[in-house]
Amino acid sequence: MTTLEVRGLTKDFSIRSGLRHSRLRAVDNVSLTLTPGRTVALVGESGSGKSTVARMIARLEKPTAGEITATGPDGRRVADRAYRDHVQMVFQDPFASLNPFHTVEHHLARPLKLHGRARGKAEVAQKVEQLLERVNLSPAADIAQRRPHELSGGMRQRVAIARALAPGAQVVIADEPVSMLDVSIRLGVLNLLARLQREDDLAVLYITHDLATARHFSDDILVMYRGRVVERGPADEVILNPQHPYTRILAAAAPDPDVRDRARLTEATGIEPAGNSALPGDDPGCTFRDRCPEAFEACARMPEDFAVGYDHYAKCWLRSGAGSAGRPAAGGNATA
Amino acid sequence: MTNIDPPAEAAEAAPDTPAGTIGASPASRRSGAGGWRSLVPRWSPKLGIGLSLVGAIALFGILGPVLTGDPDTIRDISMTPPGGEFWLGTTQTGQDVLALLAHSTRGSLQIGLLVGVLATLLSAVFGVIGGYVGGAVDEGFSLFSNVMLVIPGLPLVIVIAGFVPVEQRGWWTIAVVLAITGWAASARVLRAQTLSLRNRDYVAAAKVAGEKPWRIVSVEILPNLLPLMASQFVFAVILAILSEAGLSFLGLGASGSDTLGTMLYYAQNGFALQREAWWWFGPPGLVIALFGCGLSLINFSIDEIINPKLRTVPAAARRTRGRTGGAEREGRSAAARSVPGRGEPGRRESGRDAVLTVENLNVVYRGEKPVHAVKDVSLTLGRGEILGLAGESGCGKTTLAYAINRLHRPPAEVTSGSVVFHDRDGSDLDLLALGREDLRAFRWSKLSMVFQGAMNALNPVISVRAQLEDVLTTHRPEMSARARRERCAEVLRLVGVDPRRLDSFPHELSGGMRQRVMIAMALLLDPQVMIMDEPTTALDVVVQRGILREILRFREELGFAVVFITHDLPLLLELSDRIAVMREGEVVEYATADEIHRAPRHPYTRRLLDSFPSLTGERGAFIRTGESSARERPGSGSGAGTGTKTIVKEAGSR
Repeated sequence: MTTLEVRGLTKDFSIRSGLRHSRLRAVDNVSLTLTPGRTVALVGESGSGKSTVARMIARLEKPTAGEITATGPDGRRVADRAYRDHVQMVFQDPFASLNPFHTVEHHLARPLKLHGRARGKAEVAQKVEQLLERVNLSPAADIAQRRPHELSGGMRQRVAIARALAPGAQVVIADEPVSMLDVSIRLGVLNLLARLQREDDLAVLYITHDLATARHFSDDILVMYRGRVVERGPADEVILNPQHPYTRILAAAAPDPDVRDRARLTEATGIEPAGNSALPGDDPGCTFRDRCPEAFEACARMPEDFAVGYDHYAKCWLRSGAGSAGRPAAGGNATA
Repeated sequence: MTNIDPPAEAAEAAPDTPAGTIGASPASRRSGAGGWRSLVPRWSPKLGIGLSLVGAIALFGILGPVLTGDPDTIRDISMTPPGGEFWLGTTQTGQDVLALLAHSTRGSLQIGLLVGVLATLLSAVFGVIGGYVGGAVDEGFSLFSNVMLVIPGLPLVIVIAGFVPVEQRGWWTIAVVLAITGWAASARVLRAQTLSLRNRDYVAAAKVAGEKPWRIVSVEILPNLLPLMASQFVFAVILAILSEAGLSFLGLGASGSDTLGTMLYYAQNGFALQREAWWWFGPPGLVIALFGCGLSLINFSIDEIINPKLRTVPAAARRTRGRTGGAEREGRSAAARSVPGRGEPGRRESGRDAVLTVENLNVVYRGEKPVHAVKDVSLTLGRGEILGLAGESGCGKTTLAYAINRLHRPPAEVTSGSVVFHDRDGSDLDLLALGREDLRAFRWSKLSMVFQGAMNALNPVISVRAQLEDVLTTHRPEMSARARRERCAEVLRLVGVDPRRLDSFPHELSGGMRQRVMIAMALLLDPQVMIMDEPTTALDVVVQRGILREILRFREELGFAVVFITHDLPLLLELSDRIAVMREGEVVEYATADEIHRAPRHPYTRRLLDSFPSLTGERGAFIRTGESSARERPGSGSGAGTGTKTIVKEAGSR
């Protein structure tokens, strides 16, 4: 059963520099499906468009093209008006996502009231305390009266998670929920999200640049690069057996305490400094080919998703099956 | 995600709330009318004087007219000096100056208050609504307020005031005219602030929660603008009273009502100055001056709410500094006191020459509650060594780095300890005792620093070449222009940036390239030590890897030592020779990277290590076990304490 289905999501931003208008395609034809009780991770470097996807799903941005369909537990499409009950978001920076002026109670009581989940002062207060207890903030009555600046980063993020749960959402978009927190408390917040997901059978979209937590906390991983999903598949498959050259480079670059080897650091991985894209904005081909160590002629055309395993796809000509046959021995025309 | 043990998080909740993060005691938290409390200015002598001045004058304006009787009573005793029945003397026509002053003060206050309210309302409507709605509405409102802004105020006021017939020119006419000409500047400020607030995540969160736009403006945005609006209100009041005084003095003021301006006008007409009747023109002038002064003092205190950096006594809440990290950045003045030379500690490092020795360094942030940010830290940096400094935000790692380079700023103070630099030529330098000039010469040429988020520290309007050459002209004035150019190209090549980029401007480079340029800048003078404070946190892993590779290569080729500061322990494990783990100002564990990896001894080190799941290890192990990872560390427990140099400070009661 799907809870949220995203088809062909595309977002163009128009950039005005002086008198010239240009168009930047931040998200290009992204499709994904969220199902109850499962987590999908969207990984990629900053600027890859993953946050824009999150903001479009949360209806903070209007998509240029594509559609987002939410399905209720009854199997029927969620009406536009009820969409916000259904889909909620946890923001990256807990220092910015809570209004410094208001108490914790305000942040939780408003969505409760707005979505008709509680009426009357006593009921609201009781539900607020319940929510706080669910995210392990106690004593709840005390915390509810505090203001964001009186809480640590981890506590704030818990409040933010409680706020997302308040309207009774079935889908939670978590946009880098722990990247602004101290490392030693990140895991606790992620574990909390995992527990809540299991308890409420939530569908979670976990957006991150951290491959390791993506692997441990999600069922499926989508790797984004310059607005496109270049690889998708089961979490273990994508990380341990990456098929797209970009995913390979990402996996190789992530520090891994278990594979501690300084030689690994010094060896040339064929990664060039990212630099600014050498490709024009309307380039028809693969967006990674200017950095790709394995680029060849075919890359000037846009690759499609080629199946590379069970439910595992890579957007790369190298995986086209026939692709390797036509591949020249020496590098080819990698766009410098 | 079905294999998760719930108890995992219960344990985590405790470390989540370290003492000190929550400053206010529960009792004080409860008191006060909620969020409004945060809007009340902190008590300071400035505020006290301001409030008493304004209060006294306001009280005089309110009660004075009742107590002093009719000022218009004309007596035949003109121009009596103060004394006896008339405390402030009389005017030319025998009016009581004190009564006149009381009525005039009331009149001026009325006008000031009305103008303040009207101007603030107008600026809020145009600024906040325009800023929030955006698009055509914003364009229209901006255009309108810009037009209002460029119309010269006083001439317009004179024209309008002159246009309204004298008999209809009541005090409120003047107030409306002043309000209309005085709101535009505030509206622009409010608009800018609203534009910034509009993009805050909490506004987005309110939208996601389904709040209506008017509620977002009034409940989420407006309260955060209140200090700004209060300040603008106070300013509008001052301006109104002064402008009204000016207008009235020119004879364009309100007819039939007394204000301080009309009082001065009549004093002028009655030749008070020539007749040396100081009691006539002095008091109204003084009241205007004191009232303006009082309001300005109040405004200073409000400014401190808007911008806490203006506070004279820095708040002791240093623990939250980690995020912004900016407070002590690039400090120039070094208030450090020199430390009486303690013996010669250096040169005893594991076979390698030491280049930097830090002995029992203590740094305290002075304030209401002093924070001991660095406690008894002793480190030795060998020549060509990469020393990792690991710890979480607020652990003092950045403060330590700044103190080593004497870049810390006044609230921070080195209370004891020594930092000795052992130069290549064999001489030793006590960094804490260096004079200003010596320090300047020392920094950058022997010890350079790459700051956190340094890539944003490049000046956007100056080319890369000019910024690099600037360092050389300052420190190597004897260098020829050609040699400078060649050196700049050389360092760029070293960090893997095409020297053709020299003529680029920072915005034309990607984040990774800018960071490389910053590292190139730190390399320019061929330093012996480079301190890098989270040089790669803002970068993507792939770019980060590239930069780390360069750092390792330089170390090999140029032989300098690196202090690498980060919270990313796995990265340090790969990169560094030795690692110092810091927590709450203390180095809790100091050992080789290998030892830290194989057999971490301090519980905090273990906890930090466990916070990073393995990319390739068993899947889900991390989740199930939560806080304490089940991942077996080879050698953990067994090899501990067998002749390793590991220093472990057991976490005390803290």
